[in-house]
Amino acid sequence: MTVSATTDEARASHVGIKLNNISKRYGDHVVLDDVSLNVEPGTVTALIGPSGAGKSTFLRCINLLERPDSGTIRVAGHTIEPGKNVSARDLAALRRSVGMVFQSFNLFPHMTALKNVSFPQQRVLGRSKEEADERSMQLLERVGLKEKAGQHPGRCSGGQQQRIAIARALALDPSIMLFDEPTSALDPEVGLEVLSVMRELAADGMTMVVVTHEMQFARDVSDTLVVMADCKIIEQGDPRAIMSDPQETRTRRFLRAVLER
Amino acid sequence: MTWLAQWAGYLPQMMSGLGVSLLIAGISIAAGYPLGLALSMMVSAKNLAVRTLGLAVVEIGRGAPALVILYLFYYGLPKFGIAFESITAACLALTWNAAAYSSEIMRAGIQSVARGQTEASNALGISQRDTFFRVVMPQGMRSAIPGLMGVAIQMFQGTSLAYAIAVPELMKSAYNIGSQDFNYLQIFALAGICYAVISMPATWITVFFEKRLARHA
Ligand SMILES: Nc1ncnc2c1ncn2[C@@H]1O[C@H](COP(=O)(O)OP(=O)(O)OP(=O)(O)O)[C@@H](O)[C@H]1O
Ligand SMILES: [Mg+2]
Repeated sequence: MTVSATTDEARASHVGIKLNNISKRYGDHVVLDDVSLNVEPGTVTALIGPSGAGKSTFLRCINLLERPDSGTIRVAGHTIEPGKNVSARDLAALRRSVGMVFQSFNLFPHMTALKNVSFPQQRVLGRSKEEADERSMQLLERVGLKEKAGQHPGRCSGGQQQRIAIARALALDPSIMLFDEPTSALDPEVGLEVLSVMRELAADGMTMVVVTHEMQFARDVSDTLVVMADCKIIEQGDPRAIMSDPQETRTRRFLRAVLER
Repeated sequence: MTWLAQWAGYLPQMMSGLGVSLLIAGISIAAGYPLGLALSMMVSAKNLAVRTLGLAVVEIGRGAPALVILYLFYYGLPKFGIAFESITAACLALTWNAAAYSSEIMRAGIQSVARGQTEASNALGISQRDTFFRVVMPQGMRSAIPGLMGVAIQMFQGTSLAYAIAVPELMKSAYNIGSQDFNYLQIFALAGICYAVISMPATWITVFFEKRLARHA
């Protein structure tokens, strides 16, 4: 495993996320009700819960794709209060240290796989094309897609696209990675390719928050399982403990529904 | 046979007119597309004054017949001491027209780009400027290509309006030839063929692009 350079690993192991009292509403509709979460550096947090619980919204609040109405976000030594004005510098710093992977990949279709991974490096980190391409090729090789470098995303399978998207996020050397149902749009078999890349990342000590319906991944890979329902975190702790003996009836109901499928 | 022989005789004179028509169309398209992009950005701007100005320019350009704009430039502006040669007035009027129509097509193209593209770009920390010009716009323009080619064809056919202010374009050439021996039927049929010979392949290319885009969508 050579996903990230040792310096990245050292940095990753020192950065966690502290989210305090995050609230978010759309008009009258409350989506997040005073949610707090602590993600220890170098750990994997799996976020599960029924549809509409607010998982995606919560995840997207971490890198301010969604702007919470109140609360504080502490990432990589920066404290951000989204309810107030967020400076462009703070926002840039936040997004530099947090990478994100989407359910629908969201690769740039007009760029080759290589360009997808290199372009953000050139623009955000100011790397030269040569430096960026070199790093991109390392990462594409790491996710097993070196031979796809010259292809456009439209020519790649969903699983390949998602692995390119992971490489694109990793290329900016983030200390934290967010995943929003990264395998939900994929056939189960293809999803495994993506999950195995994520397992490697976790083994490398990347701090990760993963919204997922993959219970096996949540049980085997995550250090903390967080269950959300009705705009709140209703239960969190050791994944095996929660899965075998949930404390909340709402959790029990949800787990039964997913595990019996 | 006699028609063909006569047409062959008319052709050199027609060609100079066709050249002028293509020149006017070329200039108004080359200037109209970039202006159209600027207008499409103005119309989507946050600033109310900018947005209103953009909307006014677009709506007049689309709402008023090209001939009216042409007359305003050629006959109207000299009242304010601004006089143009007829061919310049024709280029200006058609440029406005092209800009107004293309701006709406570009705006629709840009709006059709999936929201996830902007989100991914934002999440990567790419600047708003780069997100627009390097991520969203290239994709929006791609889907705007067929519509923009339609505007080009429309502009080429619109050059015939310049006849009304005595620009020596294709229609004017045809009329001059026709008035020599009163073979109006033949000469205007030939003019129609000249327009079609240019427009039809352009339409086929447009359809080709539309099909390609549909396949890659
Ligand atoms: N832009 C928006 N405007 C209004 N309501 C929204 C918006 N985005 C999300 N919501 C609402 O917020 C609630 C939480 O949505 P969210 O996408 O966070 O849920 P989720 O837990 O990720 O669900 P799923 O498992 O289906 O992805 C839902 O009721 C949704 O309808
Ligand atoms: Mg979701």
